[in-house]
Amino acid sequence: MESLTAVHPVTLDCEALSVREINRVLRALPDGSEVRLVAPRGRHNLAVGIEHPLSITIDGNAGYFIGGLGGSRTGGPSITVDGFVGWSVGENLMGGTIRIRGSASQSAGASACGGTIVVEGDASLRAGISLKGGTVAVAGDAGAMSGFMAQAGTILIGGNAGAGLGDSLYEAVIYVAGRIDSLGADARVEELTEDDVDAVKSLVAQTGFDHIAPGDVTRVGSARQLYHFRSEHHGAY
Amino acid sequence: MCGIVGILIKDPDLEAELGALLVPMLEALAERGPDSTGLAIYRQEGQPVEIVKDVGSAPDVCRRYDIASRTGYQGIGHTRMATESAVTARHCHPFSPAPELCVVHNGSFSNHATVRRRLEADGVVFDTDNDSEVAARFIGFRLAAGDDLEEAMRWVQKEFDGFFTLLVTTATQFAVVRDPFACKPATVAETDRYVAVASEYRALAGLPGVDGAAVFEPAPGELYTWSR
Repeated sequence: MESLTAVHPVTLDCEALSVREINRVLRALPDGSEVRLVAPRGRHNLAVGIEHPLSITIDGNAGYFIGGLGGSRTGGPSITVDGFVGWSVGENLMGGTIRIRGSASQSAGASACGGTIVVEGDASLRAGISLKGGTVAVAGDAGAMSGFMAQAGTILIGGNAGAGLGDSLYEAVIYVAGRIDSLGADARVEELTEDDVDAVKSLVAQTGFDHIAPGDVTRVGSARQLYHFRSEHHGAY
Repeated sequence: MCGIVGILIKDPDLEAELGALLVPMLEALAERGPDSTGLAIYRQEGQPVEIVKDVGSAPDVCRRYDIASRTGYQGIGHTRMATESAVTARHCHPFSPAPELCVVHNGSFSNHATVRRRLEADGVVFDTDNDSEVAARFIGFRLAAGDDLEEAMRWVQKEFDGFFTLLVTTATQFAVVRDPFACKPATVAETDRYVAVASEYRALAGLPGVDGAAVFEPAPGELYTWSR
């Protein structure tokens, strides 16, 4: 598609265009364009695979994979959803920011390599599953099995964390302001260092989650007992 | 995949529109289950439940049977992507093992053969080799043994292993339950005019007054029931 001249702001009607058409238009818009997607009505895959800096507002509730695969190591779009989203918002995000004004369903930020997923409401089960370097920040509660097998990156939970938090965690770090229902296998509570407090402070500044007291969060990391084969377990194999 | 939808109407003025409400709900989930489509329509208490199921996508089947013209106080539907048994009208959901009891299922049961053998030993007869029918027959068996719907559903959670979102209706009750890992989706929208359930929100997005509805996802392993 030929490149479009930026008109600010661009409005795209999700009832009039297919998701594929919308994403094609988004890809063709010049850097810095402002776009509003109206009437999303729970549609999936909106603003997926957008690598360049756009300011995208989704005007209502949206479906699965919103903003997934977006951005790059050097940045990406800034997406705001004025509503709630379905499964896997920001899946495999590489860069940029996705802000959800409402709640997010399961697997928010799954496998995100970079960028930030901000959920102003609650996140359902498996938030930050297999995180690979991105940031998932939830103002409210996060559901069971959040941070499962997260390899790198940061998860901030402003409310309570459900059962099995950080199960089989690698090197990602989880900060929880509220209660933790239970820790998953190989996850442990660790001492909060000054670096941690600074990291949470900057996340609070970035997200606006000022109900979180950076010095009072619980740090959860990996006990690293599942990393290696241990000779005393030989009999189990 | 598979898609499930259901609506229990509270405001009698909406009963004339039951079919017109159900069709776009089902069509929104046609991609989740393109093989076949089925519905149960509760027209009036005391009247038999009408069950329509056939091979074909939701738009096709709804058109073929003029579902949009149906009236009633409650309806459930299913779009099927078969994974474990044949694509025939008999294998479609809803399964109705007893008058007024209907079940739609998204997911798969891993121990359905074991449960089926036990039920068969107790004299239960099956129509198909579908795993969802086993859950439906099991619920029917428990209800016939004197359980109320909540007890029967707790038995389902105890006895069945696998992934499921189940939507179960009787003449007076509407129930939804998800497996403890919430492997399959479900979204509820409730207003003072109706309570509606669907695999995905986009199936609810066209309902009247949905912007003011209480919208939530059933928590894993928790049973939700509504009564008329």
